[in-house]
Amino acid sequence: MPIVTRPDFLPGLPKWSRKTLFALALFGICFAFAFPVLWLILTSLRPESGVYYVHRGTEFTLSSFAEVLSDERIVHAFINSALISTLATFFSLLVTVSSGYMLSRFTGPASRIWFGTIYVFRCVPYISWVLPLYFVTQSWGLYDTYTGLLLPHVAVHICFFSWLMKGFFDGIDPSMEYAAMIDGCTRWGAFIRVALPSALPAISALAVLCWLFTWNEFLFALILTGNHVPMITVVMAQFVTEMGLRWNLMAATAVMALAPAFLIALFGQKYVIRGLRI
Amino acid sequence: MAAISLRKLNKHYGSLFHAVKDVDLEIADKEFVALVGPSGCGKSTTLRMIAGLEDITSGDIRIGDRIVNDLPPRDRDIAMVFQNYALYQHMSVYDNLAFGLRNKKTSEAEIKAAIDRAAGMLGLHELLARKPKQLSGGQQQRVALGRCIVRNPEVFLFDEPLSNLDAKLRAQMRIEIKRLHAAIPTTSVFVTHDQVEAMTLGDRVVIMRDGRVQQVGTPLQVYGKPANKFVAGFIGAPAMNFVTATVRSDGGATTVEAAGLKLSVGDAEARALGAYNGKSVIMGARPEHLALGEGASGLGFDARVEVVEQLGSEILLETRVGSHGITVARVPAETVIARGDQVRISAQPGRLHFFDPDTELPITG
Repeated sequence: MPIVTRPDFLPGLPKWSRKTLFALALFGICFAFAFPVLWLILTSLRPESGVYYVHRGTEFTLSSFAEVLSDERIVHAFINSALISTLATFFSLLVTVSSGYMLSRFTGPASRIWFGTIYVFRCVPYISWVLPLYFVTQSWGLYDTYTGLLLPHVAVHICFFSWLMKGFFDGIDPSMEYAAMIDGCTRWGAFIRVALPSALPAISALAVLCWLFTWNEFLFALILTGNHVPMITVVMAQFVTEMGLRWNLMAATAVMALAPAFLIALFGQKYVIRGLRI
Repeated sequence: MAAISLRKLNKHYGSLFHAVKDVDLEIADKEFVALVGPSGCGKSTTLRMIAGLEDITSGDIRIGDRIVNDLPPRDRDIAMVFQNYALYQHMSVYDNLAFGLRNKKTSEAEIKAAIDRAAGMLGLHELLARKPKQLSGGQQQRVALGRCIVRNPEVFLFDEPLSNLDAKLRAQMRIEIKRLHAAIPTTSVFVTHDQVEAMTLGDRVVIMRDGRVQQVGTPLQVYGKPANKFVAGFIGAPAMNFVTATVRSDGGATTVEAAGLKLSVGDAEARALGAYNGKSVIMGARPEHLALGEGASGLGFDARVEVVEQLGSEILLETRVGSHGITVARVPAETVIARGDQVRISAQPGRLHFFDPDTELPITG
């Protein structure tokens, strides 16, 4: 017998109509979310002349994709985005995992100060970081370099995701680590050999979130980079020119930029959700 | 050889909470000691301090001939079983058992031999390849026991290891732990809030309350000669009945009286109660020392039955004596009795306990 019984949805209606309503609502919500993506894909497949009439016409072509892929700058931007996302994820995980662990397991002053610090940084509106960061990267000579973009991203990841990581570790029974310490491990050894492997699903989920965060990020990429480190989100926006909008190219680039998120949704979703549930 | 000795052990959490207060305890080599008390009494903290998982504020802990106050857990040569098993979830049962020995750089052949031996004792052979998640609670706890055995440590520590098991399994595991201790006599400290576990497992029982040790003794001592009212009420199930009564000594005979109750006490008790003539005392009587019927002269009283709990093997009778005061008696299961019946109950001679109402210490001659 279930311990919690769920009150029925619209209890006055017969069961079949409740089911129909439910299905309609579900479909409506899915459609609302999927529609822009579908429109984007359609646009990317239309020739330039057809982008304003996506709903009409039967002419489809892959030429926008070909044109985008032949543009060296866009290919460069793709590689850059992937590289920065991967590096930022790697470096931020190194800190985030241990900082989340500290927040979860230790209650001393160091932990409290760290907690307060990332709390304050988290409360600051994201956009207000950008200008100071611009001046800092300028004065340190990091403007428009990989490092100049990587460091702010790592910092943001740490502030935003240490909390998630703390939550994951809160869900892992600490007595496992105590057992390891009694079984011959140091405190660090218990963390590395016992807590970390148990948190692996959560860490993978976090890695995906970090990666997508940087991949999708626009503001830092716009302000902190120039021509040397083009990022895909910025390059995509540059199809808006004085000569007009190149909708088909922008859509083709966007569709390609969607691919990683799409692949994760398709194959990794189960693992991400399982990781987030720990 | 590893006796454990705790001297003036204290634990403060911040300035406000004094969790363990001046605990002195000597545990002999190969002895099985059970720490028991209500939750928050400091028993788990004491155990964790012995394990080295908790810093001590003051005092000394000695294991064998070493003071271990500042030794990390891994250097204390102990093994511990936790309430929620604490198995390494990402490792197979075999690797769980091997973990401690691998840390000691033991050769794989020796590890295998040790695991074989432990698995044989605990019936783990079929489970060795499985992951902890695929095991039932009882199996997981057996693996946790196995993990302790293979290391062959000087001390076993148990932190409420049976609390997460259902009643039947708990009784089985209790026997298993007892058998294990007989087969591999190792100094053991067993923390529990269940007095039945403490009584059945411990060579000696340590009862704690509010961070202080209340009594240390064999199960029979703590049951028969409780050191104070708290111990008297804590040990034994159902708990001892307490009634506030007035002592009346009148020439030769001494009686204790409460509403609806007038019992004559024996000579030894009368001597002990001599100083309390006219004053009130707390009288305690265990349910198993109360019987239906007239019994010994001067020890009977009338009561009205309020609740009849038929257990099959016996009946627990909750009765009202006088205008207030509920008394529980254990009577034979076949007794025909119903709620509202008036019954005569008698106490067994020499089985009454008396406590000072202020100090709650026993009144003895």
